[in-house]
Amino acid sequence: MSSEKRSVKNIILPISIGAISLVIGLWLSQQMLLNNNDTKIPKNLDATVLPNARVLAGFNLINHDKQPFTEEQLKGQWSFLFFGFTNCPDVCPTTLKVMQSVWKTLPTKPGEVGHPKLYFVSVDPDRDKTEIIKSYIQYFHTEFIGVTGKANELDKLTNQIGILYGYDDKSDGSDLEYTVNHSAQLILIDPRGRMRAVISPPHIAKTIAANFQTIRTFYGDE
Amino acid sequence: MSFSRILILAICFLFSVSTVYAAELVKIENAWSPEAPPVAKVMAGYMKISNLSNKDIKIKSANSNFFTKVEIHRTELKDGMFTMIKQDNLIIKAKSHIELKQGGLHMMLMGKLKPMREGSIIPVKLTFNNNETVEVNLKVKSDNRPQMKCGSGKCGSM
Repeated sequence: MSSEKRSVKNIILPISIGAISLVIGLWLSQQMLLNNNDTKIPKNLDATVLPNARVLAGFNLINHDKQPFTEEQLKGQWSFLFFGFTNCPDVCPTTLKVMQSVWKTLPTKPGEVGHPKLYFVSVDPDRDKTEIIKSYIQYFHTEFIGVTGKANELDKLTNQIGILYGYDDKSDGSDLEYTVNHSAQLILIDPRGRMRAVISPPHIAKTIAANFQTIRTFYGDE
Repeated sequence: MSFSRILILAICFLFSVSTVYAAELVKIENAWSPEAPPVAKVMAGYMKISNLSNKDIKIKSANSNFFTKVEIHRTELKDGMFTMIKQDNLIIKAKSHIELKQGGLHMMLMGKLKPMREGSIIPVKLTFNNNETVEVNLKVKSDNRPQMKCGSGKCGSM
Protein backbone atom coordinates (compact mmCIF):
# COMPACT_ATOMS: atom_id res chain seq x y z
CA MET A 1 0.00 0.00 0.00
CA SER A 2 2.70 2.40 1.05
CA SER A 3 4.82 1.40 -1.91
CA GLU A 4 1.85 2.11 -4.22
CA LYS A 5 1.44 5.49 -2.62
CA ARG A 6 5.12 6.15 -3.10
CA SER A 7 4.98 5.15 -6.77
CA VAL A 8 1.99 7.45 -7.34
CA LYS A 9 3.91 10.24 -5.64
CA ASN A 10 6.89 9.44 -7.85
CA ILE A 11 4.70 9.78 -10.91
CA ILE A 12 2.90 12.99 -9.81
CA LEU A 13 6.08 15.07 -9.72
CA PRO A 14 7.33 14.30 -13.24
CA ILE A 15 3.81 14.61 -14.63
CA SER A 16 3.25 18.01 -13.05
CA ILE A 17 6.68 19.19 -14.24
CA GLY A 18 5.82 17.89 -17.69
CA ALA A 19 2.42 19.55 -17.66
CA ILE A 20 3.83 22.86 -16.47
CA SER A 21 6.58 22.69 -19.12
CA LEU A 22 3.97 21.96 -21.74
CA VAL A 23 1.86 24.95 -20.70
CA ILE A 24 4.92 27.21 -20.60
CA GLY A 25 6.06 25.83 -23.96
CA LEU A 26 2.68 26.41 -25.56
CA TRP A 27 2.50 29.89 -24.10
CA LEU A 28 6.02 30.71 -25.33
CA SER A 29 5.40 29.38 -28.81
CA GLN A 30 2.15 31.33 -29.00
CA GLN A 31 3.99 34.48 -27.91
CA MET A 32 6.65 33.84 -30.53
CA LEU A 33 3.99 33.35 -33.17
CA LEU A 34 2.28 36.55 -32.08
CA ASN A 35 5.53 38.47 -32.31
CA ASN A 36 6.42 36.93 -35.62
CA ASN A 37 4.27 39.23 -37.72
CA ASP A 38 6.16 38.59 -40.90
CA THR A 39 3.46 36.54 -42.50
CA LYS A 40 0.56 38.39 -40.89
CA ILE A 41 -0.87 41.64 -42.13
CA PRO A 42 -2.48 44.55 -40.30
CA LYS A 43 -6.21 45.03 -40.83
CA ASN A 44 -8.35 47.90 -42.08
CA LEU A 45 -5.91 49.40 -44.55
CA ASP A 46 -6.35 51.18 -47.87
CA ALA A 47 -3.09 49.61 -48.95
CA THR A 48 -2.10 46.20 -50.25
CA VAL A 49 0.33 44.65 -47.79
CA LEU A 50 2.45 41.74 -48.95
CA PRO A 51 2.10 38.86 -46.45
CA ASN A 52 5.67 37.90 -47.34
CA ALA A 53 7.87 40.96 -47.80
CA ARG A 54 9.69 40.77 -51.14
CA VAL A 55 13.48 40.86 -51.02
CA LEU A 56 14.78 43.10 -53.79
CA ALA A 57 17.45 41.96 -56.21
CA GLY A 58 20.29 44.33 -57.04
CA PHE A 59 19.93 47.48 -59.16
CA ASN A 60 22.34 50.31 -59.79
CA LEU A 61 20.86 53.81 -60.00
CA ILE A 62 22.02 57.28 -58.89
CA ASN A 63 20.42 59.85 -56.62
CA HIS A 64 20.07 63.54 -57.45
CA ASP A 65 23.54 64.21 -56.00
CA LYS A 66 24.97 61.58 -58.38
CA GLN A 67 25.62 59.22 -55.47
CA PRO A 68 24.87 55.49 -55.90
CA PHE A 69 21.32 54.44 -55.25
CA THR A 70 21.08 50.68 -54.92
CA GLU A 71 19.07 48.22 -52.84
CA GLU A 72 21.47 49.05 -49.97
CA GLN A 73 20.15 52.64 -49.67
CA LEU A 74 16.70 51.22 -48.98
CA LYS A 75 17.91 49.56 -45.78
CA GLY A 76 17.78 51.21 -42.36
CA GLN A 77 14.49 53.10 -42.66
CA TRP A 78 11.03 52.89 -44.22
CA SER A 79 10.97 54.28 -47.77
CA PHE A 80 8.28 55.35 -50.21
CA LEU A 81 9.01 54.99 -53.92
CA PHE A 82 7.09 57.02 -56.50
CA PHE A 83 7.76 56.84 -60.22
CA GLY A 84 7.26 59.70 -62.67
CA PHE A 85 9.06 62.38 -64.64
CA THR A 86 9.53 66.12 -64.37
CA ASN A 87 7.65 66.94 -67.59
CA CYS A 88 4.52 65.52 -66.00
CA PRO A 89 2.15 68.41 -65.31
CA ASP A 90 -0.84 66.76 -63.67
CA VAL A 91 -0.29 63.54 -61.77
CA CYS A 92 3.28 63.93 -60.50
CA PRO A 93 2.98 67.37 -58.88
CA THR A 94 -0.41 66.41 -57.45
CA THR A 95 0.98 63.23 -55.89
CA LEU A 96 4.12 64.97 -54.62
CA LYS A 97 1.96 67.68 -53.02
CA VAL A 98 0.02 64.91 -51.32
CA MET A 99 3.29 63.44 -50.02
CA GLN A 100 4.30 66.89 -48.82
CA SER A 101 1.10 66.87 -46.70
CA VAL A 102 1.85 63.32 -45.52
CA TRP A 103 5.25 64.52 -44.29
CA LYS A 104 3.55 67.34 -42.36
CA THR A 105 1.15 64.85 -40.79
CA LEU A 106 3.74 62.29 -39.66
CA PRO A 107 4.50 62.32 -35.93
CA THR A 108 8.22 61.87 -36.57
CA LYS A 109 10.76 64.42 -37.75
CA PRO A 110 13.57 63.81 -40.24
CA GLY A 111 16.38 61.86 -38.58
CA GLU A 112 14.12 60.34 -35.92
CA VAL A 113 13.57 56.60 -35.66
CA GLY A 114 10.75 55.51 -37.92
CA HIS A 115 10.82 58.61 -40.13
CA PRO A 116 10.52 57.47 -43.74
CA LYS A 117 12.28 58.62 -46.87
CA LEU A 118 10.65 59.47 -50.17
CA TYR A 119 12.39 58.59 -53.41
CA PHE A 120 11.01 60.07 -56.63
CA VAL A 121 12.32 57.85 -59.40
CA SER A 122 12.35 59.50 -62.82
CA VAL A 123 11.68 56.98 -65.56
CA ASP A 124 12.63 59.59 -68.19
CA PRO A 125 16.45 59.56 -67.94
CA ASP A 126 16.89 61.08 -71.42
CA ARG A 127 15.38 64.42 -70.32
CA ASP A 128 15.63 64.28 -66.54
CA LYS A 129 19.25 64.92 -65.67
CA THR A 130 20.16 64.77 -61.97
CA GLU A 131 20.32 68.59 -61.62
CA ILE A 132 16.80 68.92 -63.02
CA ILE A 133 15.45 66.15 -60.80
CA LYS A 134 17.09 67.69 -57.74
CA SER A 135 15.55 71.14 -58.13
CA TYR A 136 12.24 69.58 -59.15
CA ILE A 137 11.88 67.24 -56.16
CA GLN A 138 13.31 69.65 -53.59
CA TYR A 139 10.63 72.18 -54.54
CA PHE A 140 8.16 69.82 -52.87
CA HIS A 141 10.29 68.94 -49.83
CA THR A 142 13.97 69.37 -49.12
CA GLU A 143 14.00 65.86 -47.60
CA PHE A 144 12.69 64.21 -50.77
CA ILE A 145 15.29 62.50 -52.93
CA GLY A 146 15.30 62.24 -56.70
CA VAL A 147 16.63 59.11 -58.40
CA THR A 148 17.26 58.04 -61.96
CA GLY A 149 19.64 55.91 -63.97
CA LYS A 150 20.10 53.91 -67.13
CA ALA A 151 17.00 52.35 -68.64
CA ASN A 152 18.13 48.77 -68.02
CA GLU A 153 18.90 49.53 -64.36
CA LEU A 154 15.52 51.29 -63.94
CA ASP A 155 13.91 48.17 -65.36
CA LYS A 156 15.72 45.98 -62.82
CA LEU A 157 13.95 47.93 -60.08
CA THR A 158 10.55 48.48 -61.72
CA ASN A 159 10.16 44.91 -62.99
CA GLN A 160 10.49 43.34 -59.55
CA ILE A 161 8.05 45.71 -57.84
CA GLY A 162 5.40 45.74 -60.56
CA ILE A 163 5.84 49.30 -61.80
CA LEU A 164 5.13 49.93 -65.48
CA TYR A 165 6.19 52.82 -67.65
CA GLY A 166 6.40 53.63 -71.33
CA TYR A 167 6.67 56.49 -73.80
CA ASP A 168 4.19 57.89 -76.29
CA ASP A 169 5.47 59.23 -79.61
CA LYS A 170 9.11 59.19 -78.52
CA SER A 171 10.67 59.22 -81.96
CA ASP A 172 10.98 62.71 -83.40
CA GLY A 173 13.84 63.73 -81.12
CA SER A 174 12.10 66.86 -79.90
CA ASP A 175 12.55 67.79 -76.27
CA LEU A 176 8.89 67.98 -75.37
CA GLU A 177 7.08 65.95 -77.95
CA TYR A 178 6.55 62.84 -75.93
CA THR A 179 4.83 61.97 -72.73
CA VAL A 180 5.71 59.25 -70.26
CA ASN A 181 3.05 56.89 -69.04
CA HIS A 182 3.77 55.51 -65.64
CA SER A 183 2.31 53.52 -62.79
CA ALA A 184 0.57 55.50 -60.13
CA GLN A 185 1.25 53.34 -57.09
CA LEU A 186 3.40 54.28 -54.15
CA ILE A 187 5.62 51.40 -53.10
CA LEU A 188 6.46 51.06 -49.42
CA ILE A 189 9.82 49.47 -48.60
CA ASP A 190 10.51 48.20 -45.08
CA PRO A 191 13.68 48.98 -43.08
CA ARG A 192 15.24 45.72 -44.29
CA GLY A 193 14.95 46.99 -47.85
CA ARG A 194 12.10 44.66 -48.76
CA MET A 195 8.92 45.57 -50.62
CA ARG A 196 6.20 45.60 -47.98
CA ALA A 197 3.12 47.37 -49.39
CA VAL A 198 1.56 48.97 -52.45
CA ILE A 199 -0.58 52.08 -52.11
CA SER A 200 -2.85 52.70 -55.09
CA PRO A 201 -4.51 55.95 -56.17
CA PRO A 202 -6.45 58.04 -55.46
CA HIS A 203 -3.74 59.27 -53.13
CA ILE A 204 -5.11 61.03 -50.06
CA ALA A 205 -2.63 62.44 -47.55
CA LYS A 206 -4.51 61.51 -44.36
CA THR A 207 -5.09 57.94 -45.54
CA ILE A 208 -1.48 57.42 -46.60
CA ALA A 209 -0.16 58.83 -43.30
CA ALA A 210 -2.54 56.70 -41.21
CA ASN A 211 -1.82 53.54 -43.24
CA PHE A 212 1.90 54.09 -42.97
CA GLN A 213 1.71 54.52 -39.20
CA THR A 214 -0.36 51.34 -38.89
CA ILE A 215 2.04 49.31 -41.03
CA ARG A 216 5.08 50.79 -39.27
CA THR A 217 3.69 50.04 -35.81
CA PHE A 218 2.72 46.51 -36.87
CA TYR A 219 6.08 45.47 -38.29
CA GLY A 220 8.38 47.75 -36.29
CA ASP A 221 11.26 49.93 -37.38
CA GLU A 222 13.88 47.21 -37.72
CA MET B 1 -27.52 87.89 -41.61
CA SER B 2 -24.29 88.48 -39.73
CA PHE B 3 -21.63 90.86 -40.96
CA SER B 4 -19.16 88.02 -41.58
CA ARG B 5 -21.72 86.22 -43.69
CA ILE B 6 -22.30 89.35 -45.77
CA LEU B 7 -18.54 89.76 -46.08
CA ILE B 8 -18.13 86.18 -47.27
CA LEU B 9 -20.89 86.64 -49.82
CA ALA B 10 -19.29 89.88 -50.97
CA ILE B 11 -15.93 88.14 -51.41
CA CYS B 12 -17.67 85.32 -53.24
CA PHE B 13 -19.28 87.86 -55.54
CA LEU B 14 -15.98 89.61 -56.23
CA PHE B 15 -14.23 86.29 -56.71
CA SER B 16 -16.79 85.03 -59.19
CA VAL B 17 -16.78 88.31 -61.12
CA SER B 18 -13.01 88.32 -61.33
CA THR B 19 -12.70 84.78 -62.67
CA VAL B 20 -15.44 84.56 -65.28
CA TYR B 21 -14.38 84.97 -68.89
CA ALA B 22 -17.32 84.97 -71.19
CA ALA B 23 -17.75 85.27 -74.88
CA GLU B 24 -21.29 85.23 -76.15
CA LEU B 25 -21.65 81.49 -76.23
CA VAL B 26 -18.79 80.20 -74.08
CA LYS B 27 -18.08 80.89 -70.43
CA ILE B 28 -14.88 79.99 -68.57
CA GLU B 29 -14.66 80.01 -64.78
CA ASN B 30 -12.13 79.22 -62.05
CA ALA B 31 -9.12 79.16 -64.37
CA TRP B 32 -5.96 78.38 -62.43
CA SER B 33 -2.63 76.64 -62.63
CA PRO B 34 -0.78 74.95 -59.76
CA GLU B 35 2.59 76.53 -59.13
CA ALA B 36 5.23 74.16 -60.48
CA PRO B 37 8.90 73.75 -59.54
CA PRO B 38 10.84 76.53 -61.33
CA VAL B 39 12.76 73.88 -63.28
CA ALA B 40 9.58 72.31 -64.69
CA LYS B 41 9.00 73.04 -68.35
CA VAL B 42 5.37 72.04 -68.31
CA MET B 43 2.48 73.22 -66.22
CA ALA B 44 -1.15 72.25 -65.97
CA GLY B 45 -4.22 74.43 -66.41
CA TYR B 46 -7.60 73.79 -64.82
CA MET B 47 -10.95 75.49 -65.43
CA LYS B 48 -14.63 75.03 -66.09
CA ILE B 49 -15.75 75.65 -69.67
CA SER B 50 -19.47 76.10 -70.30
CA ASN B 51 -21.14 75.98 -73.67
CA LEU B 52 -24.11 78.37 -73.47
CA SER B 53 -25.20 77.76 -77.03
CA ASN B 54 -27.68 75.28 -78.49
CA LYS B 55 -25.04 73.50 -80.54
CA ASP B 56 -22.21 71.16 -79.56
CA ILE B 57 -18.83 72.87 -79.85
CA LYS B 58 -15.22 71.73 -80.05
CA ILE B 59 -12.02 73.33 -78.85
CA LYS B 60 -10.19 74.08 -82.09
CA SER B 61 -6.96 75.42 -80.64
CA ALA B 62 -5.34 76.83 -77.54
CA ASN B 63 -2.23 78.97 -77.27
CA SER B 64 -0.33 81.19 -74.89
CA ASN B 65 2.46 83.70 -75.36
CA PHE B 66 4.18 82.21 -72.30
CA PHE B 67 4.36 78.63 -73.59
CA THR B 68 5.43 77.13 -76.90
CA LYS B 69 2.47 74.79 -77.07
CA VAL B 70 -0.88 74.28 -75.36
CA GLU B 71 -2.89 71.07 -75.57
CA ILE B 72 -5.79 69.46 -73.79
CA HIS B 73 -5.01 66.06 -72.31
CA ARG B 74 -6.92 63.57 -70.29
CA THR B 75 -5.24 61.62 -67.50
CA GLU B 76 -6.56 58.09 -67.55
CA LEU B 77 -5.82 55.41 -65.04
CA LYS B 78 -5.57 52.00 -66.69
CA ASP B 79 -4.47 48.99 -64.63
CA GLY B 80 -2.75 51.28 -62.17
CA MET B 81 -0.83 53.11 -64.89
CA PHE B 82 -1.42 56.77 -65.68
CA THR B 83 -1.79 57.45 -69.38
CA MET B 84 -2.11 60.87 -70.98
CA ILE B 85 -4.49 60.97 -73.90
CA LYS B 86 -4.36 64.03 -76.14
CA GLN B 87 -7.84 65.41 -76.78
CA ASP B 88 -8.00 66.70 -80.32
CA ASN B 89 -11.72 66.64 -80.67
CA LEU B 90 -13.00 67.53 -77.28
CA ILE B 91 -16.72 68.18 -77.59
CA ILE B 92 -18.63 70.37 -75.19
CA LYS B 93 -22.27 69.50 -75.62
CA ALA B 94 -24.94 72.15 -76.09
CA LYS B 95 -25.97 73.85 -72.84
CA SER B 96 -23.41 71.76 -71.01
CA HIS B 97 -19.94 72.17 -69.53
CA ILE B 98 -16.67 70.34 -69.03
CA GLU B 99 -14.32 70.52 -66.08
CA LEU B 100 -10.58 70.53 -66.42
CA LYS B 101 -9.40 69.30 -63.04
CA GLN B 102 -6.61 67.40 -61.34
CA GLY B 103 -6.33 63.77 -62.36
CA GLY B 104 -8.71 64.17 -65.31
CA LEU B 105 -8.99 66.55 -68.23
CA HIS B 106 -6.30 69.20 -68.06
CA MET B 107 -4.70 71.87 -70.12
CA MET B 108 -1.09 70.95 -70.74
CA LEU B 109 1.07 74.06 -71.00
CA MET B 110 4.32 72.96 -72.63
CA GLY B 111 7.64 74.69 -73.13
CA LYS B 112 7.56 77.38 -70.46
CA LEU B 113 9.13 80.60 -71.78
CA LYS B 114 9.29 82.65 -68.58
CA PRO B 115 9.39 81.95 -64.85
CA MET B 116 6.04 81.54 -63.14
CA ARG B 117 5.29 81.61 -59.47
CA GLU B 118 2.34 82.04 -57.18
CA GLY B 119 0.43 85.13 -58.26
CA SER B 120 1.64 85.01 -61.86
CA ILE B 121 -0.96 85.18 -64.59
CA ILE B 122 -0.88 82.90 -67.62
CA PRO B 123 -2.90 84.28 -70.53
CA VAL B 124 -4.38 81.59 -72.75
CA LYS B 125 -6.44 82.04 -75.89
CA LEU B 126 -8.97 79.35 -76.65
CA THR B 127 -10.57 79.13 -80.06
CA PHE B 128 -13.71 77.10 -80.62
CA ASN B 129 -15.07 75.64 -83.84
CA ASN B 130 -17.98 78.09 -83.76
CA ASN B 131 -15.27 80.75 -84.24
CA GLU B 132 -15.63 82.09 -80.76
CA THR B 133 -12.40 83.06 -79.08
CA VAL B 134 -12.05 83.38 -75.33
CA GLU B 135 -9.02 84.89 -73.68
CA VAL B 136 -8.61 83.57 -70.18
CA ASN B 137 -6.09 84.36 -67.45
CA LEU B 138 -4.95 81.42 -65.38
CA LYS B 139 -3.94 82.39 -61.86
CA VAL B 140 -0.89 80.55 -60.61
CA LYS B 141 -1.52 79.24 -57.10
CA SER B 142 0.85 77.37 -54.84
CA ASP B 143 -1.97 75.61 -53.08
CA ASN B 144 -3.07 73.02 -55.60
CA ARG B 145 -6.26 72.01 -53.91
CA PRO B 146 -9.24 72.65 -56.17
CA GLN B 147 -11.37 75.72 -55.68
CA MET B 148 -14.85 75.20 -54.35
CA LYS B 149 -17.71 76.95 -55.96
CA CYS B 150 -19.04 80.00 -54.20
CA GLY B 151 -22.61 79.74 -53.11
CA SER B 152 -24.68 78.01 -50.43
CA GLY B 153 -22.52 79.69 -47.84
CA LYS B 154 -19.31 77.96 -48.90
CA CYS B 155 -16.52 79.80 -50.61
CA GLY B 156 -12.82 79.56 -51.20
CA SER B 157 -10.57 76.57 -51.38
CA MET B 158 -11.45 73.16 -50.05
